[in-house]
Amino acid sequence: MGVKEIVKKFLGYRGTIPTATVVKEGRLSGYRFYLDYLIKDKVAAVALAIITLFTAWSVVEGTLQYVGYATRHRALGWALLPSNPIALNFAASLHPPSLSHFPVYIFGTNFSGESILSRLLYAAPKDALAAYLVVFSGIIIGMLVGTFAGYFGGWADEVLMRVTDAFLALPGLVLAIALSVLLGSGYNSVLISLILIWWPTYARFFRAQALSLKSRGFVEASKLSGQNSLMIILRHIFPNSVDPVIAYAALDFGNVILTYSTLAFLGIGIQPPYPEWGSMSSNGLPYFPQNWWWSIIPGLVIMTVVVCFTLIGDRMQDLIGGRLTY
Amino acid sequence: MQISTLIYLVRRVINAVVTLLLLIFLIFVLVHTIAPTPVALARIYCGSPHCPPAELQVIIQQYGLSLPLPVQFAHYVVNIFHGNFGTDTLYKVPELQVIGELLPITLELVITGLIFAVIIGLFTGSLAAANRNNPVDYTVKAVYLVTWSAPVFLVGFILQLFLAYELKLLPPSGLANPTLGNPSPVTGYPYLSVVPQPLQGWLSGLVRAITSPPLIAAAVDGDWRFFVSAVHHLVLPALAIAITSFGVVTRLTRASMIDALDRDYVKLSFMKGLSKNRVVYGTAFRNAVIPIITLIALLFGFSTAGAVVIEDIFQYHGMGYFTVQAIYNLDYIAILAITIIVGISVIAANLVADLLYGWADPRVRLE
Amino acid sequence: MSVLKVKDLVVEYSTVYGVLRAINHLSFEVGEAESVGVVGESGSGKSTLGLSVVRLLPPNARYAGGSIILDGQEVTRMSNSEARRIRGTTAFMIFQDPLNSLNPVKKVSTQLLEAVEMRCKKLGETYDVEKATREVVEKIRAVRIPDPELILERYPHQLSGGQIQRVIIAMALLMRPKLLIADEPTSALDVTIQAQVLKLMNDLKKEYGMSIMFITHDISVAYNISDRIMVMYAGELVELGSADGVIRSPMHPYAKALIASIPRGVMRDAPLEPIRGSPPNMIHPPSGCRFHPRCPFVMDVCRREEPREVGQDGRVVRCYLYG
Repeated sequence: MGVKEIVKKFLGYRGTIPTATVVKEGRLSGYRFYLDYLIKDKVAAVALAIITLFTAWSVVEGTLQYVGYATRHRALGWALLPSNPIALNFAASLHPPSLSHFPVYIFGTNFSGESILSRLLYAAPKDALAAYLVVFSGIIIGMLVGTFAGYFGGWADEVLMRVTDAFLALPGLVLAIALSVLLGSGYNSVLISLILIWWPTYARFFRAQALSLKSRGFVEASKLSGQNSLMIILRHIFPNSVDPVIAYAALDFGNVILTYSTLAFLGIGIQPPYPEWGSMSSNGLPYFPQNWWWSIIPGLVIMTVVVCFTLIGDRMQDLIGGRLTY
Repeated sequence: MQISTLIYLVRRVINAVVTLLLLIFLIFVLVHTIAPTPVALARIYCGSPHCPPAELQVIIQQYGLSLPLPVQFAHYVVNIFHGNFGTDTLYKVPELQVIGELLPITLELVITGLIFAVIIGLFTGSLAAANRNNPVDYTVKAVYLVTWSAPVFLVGFILQLFLAYELKLLPPSGLANPTLGNPSPVTGYPYLSVVPQPLQGWLSGLVRAITSPPLIAAAVDGDWRFFVSAVHHLVLPALAIAITSFGVVTRLTRASMIDALDRDYVKLSFMKGLSKNRVVYGTAFRNAVIPIITLIALLFGFSTAGAVVIEDIFQYHGMGYFTVQAIYNLDYIAILAITIIVGISVIAANLVADLLYGWADPRVRLE
Repeated sequence: MSVLKVKDLVVEYSTVYGVLRAINHLSFEVGEAESVGVVGESGSGKSTLGLSVVRLLPPNARYAGGSIILDGQEVTRMSNSEARRIRGTTAFMIFQDPLNSLNPVKKVSTQLLEAVEMRCKKLGETYDVEKATREVVEKIRAVRIPDPELILERYPHQLSGGQIQRVIIAMALLMRPKLLIADEPTSALDVTIQAQVLKLMNDLKKEYGMSIMFITHDISVAYNISDRIMVMYAGELVELGSADGVIRSPMHPYAKALIASIPRGVMRDAPLEPIRGSPPNMIHPPSGCRFHPRCPFVMDVCRREEPREVGQDGRVVRCYLYG
């Protein structure tokens, strides 16, 4: 379409057939339902496949690494990889991407001759762990704090609102930097700081849900029939709050990976010689642009994974109807 | 100005101040949780992880680190309000001075990036709304999905690779052409004496801060060669920031426009006989844009975070670059100072957005 | 000479489920200074009818047949700019939900003055702010809002529903249309306010000689304001006649059922008589007469073939019971 057409279309308010999504009637819950829907949508299906691969690989590789570390057989960590990700091999230094020795050099090598592909694969479990751990912890902490604050109200609610306000006033990355550095710049520090930064959003959300749910009919009915608060929360509030959160959480895994890898880029987190997607990108900076593959390919990998998470989260939010965020 | 508008303004300002205090409190609590003992605290203030115990004692005395916590907190707040963020370990000058010189540069970058992001977002969002569910819409959606998911350093690298190194359209790094001299800073203001004394210091500091970033300094000084060079150097970094953040603007604009176009008052405008353009880009757009204002505050925070990375990649010597150095040198004081100042900036941006929103939407300010 | 003459109109929507024929071969007329009530349930096509007269149909709708002649001009085949010209000054439409009918970010005065400005443009008059302001104030008084100056300075969210509807009627008066189309203008208002607005419209009709096409689901409201009533069902005209005629002696079974279903609040145990069945699927409407699944008098022929309109002396009915 030429520029003229685009401009013409732009100036003409002309929508077309709304693509209604045929959603099944009835309560939207259960992962089977989501799965069904996502698989039918081809793009989402591909994204789901990639995520599944990523997660599966991370689990396998992560376990291998841990076992290798625990049993002092570190080589287990790279048993499945095309090459040793931390072995110096200056002969193959700064090799551009090529198909020789497939698949070792498919993404090229860095200054120390390590295959970028191997390093990417080796580092994957860290990102996956960060994503899942931070989001789940955030949900759990947020759920506990937010639901109780929202349901019981009063000064606890006020305090919570103020605290989350303060947390949310700072951009996540900046606070993450401060916390991680103060805690000691290691992988665990990063995880802790990310969890600390992530829960307020969920707390806010669960609070809003609790607030809106507590005046609903079935909760009033429960109260009238003498149910105590704890049971009401467990039985009515929690289950009804969860659906939209799941959709948002799917998106959020991607956000964690972005923040995590940006921290790694800045040198916070896993230290050399161990690879990390973000730090690989920044290590390549002095050799940019001639050896562009070192900086750009890890970024592309991050982008791909995050796109898939975001896509799925997006679809799920469409499915549920009410969006949490734009 | 009506009473209700005034009340709205005052409430927003109070809100901002309270949030700021809470933010400082939060940071205070976090720092003291991580470093609960005076010795641990002293290590942080020392500026390097390997401080001899004698020096630690000196620091404890100097900063009053063994005083009871509320007292420490009070000192902390008072210090911050006086602009005392400690002394930078590397440059050995007050933090505020270092940050004061570098912050305007970063703000210039961030604000430019924000403006780009908003423009791109409004344009693509309206485009998508006007072409709902046809290929244009899907393309726009795909584009913002990808750009939103791309890590900010990737965008920076790609821009640098293609536009600077391959196509040589724009310079790859730096603030301005280093061979050109810097424009002279603004000193001596003719009308300053009009202002009462204590305010003079603040005002001159503010003026100097505002006129220090490259573009503005060059414009004020009349140094157009420098101005042009600074513009050239600003484009790529600002574009990188804009590209990663425009996605939310697009999304919201699209949803907002679709909603606005469905409203009866749009039909009524057609009834009056206004042309389609005037209705869509006048009435509907004007109403749709209002929620975007709240987004700007969020974007400001996001862009500031992105600036840290971008300044590293593009060797753009602003506060972000300073942050990267501070991380590398484990300069805790600097990092804390930066955190607080960024917090202040974001809260200020939120306040500005709130005020703008009140101006744009009469429903909010006239209740 | 009729202000509006609709002949054999067909309007279709393309939806993802298929083609939806919202108006199916509809014909009727509205004369000068006459008010016609268009009565039907949701989905009967009555709103679509209103929108089609002023060319405000959504993008996925199209005119699939027939003609709409508004003040002598054929609407369905007009270009966009011609349509723009007739909108407002020839026919003006007001909508149901007052809260969304005015632009929330502009003052009432701005919006009304804009209407005057557009009218001047269309009719080739010169626009003079002072003259326009006086006219605006006059019309606000005409719609029985006390203190016009106060209302003018307000924003829409500061007005009540009834006030907004009046302001919009004022806007209509400013544009001096020959035909006013009102799509459920009182449905969102309290009953007392409803009565006031209806009386206002009646009086204005007499005073300005404006024709009104009043779309509603409430047949008693239609009776209140209309000279003639047209009953629609599933996109078709099922009965047309004088208001008295249709209400007191309805002919079509649907019209009969509508009138019978009005709760008669006088006697405490008066039975409620709903119309059995549910509204038809407009994408796959019932065969033959569209009302036949719910009709108590259904005959064989009703299931097979669509009845044609029969009538005389301005009374029209689409039912095999009558021919």
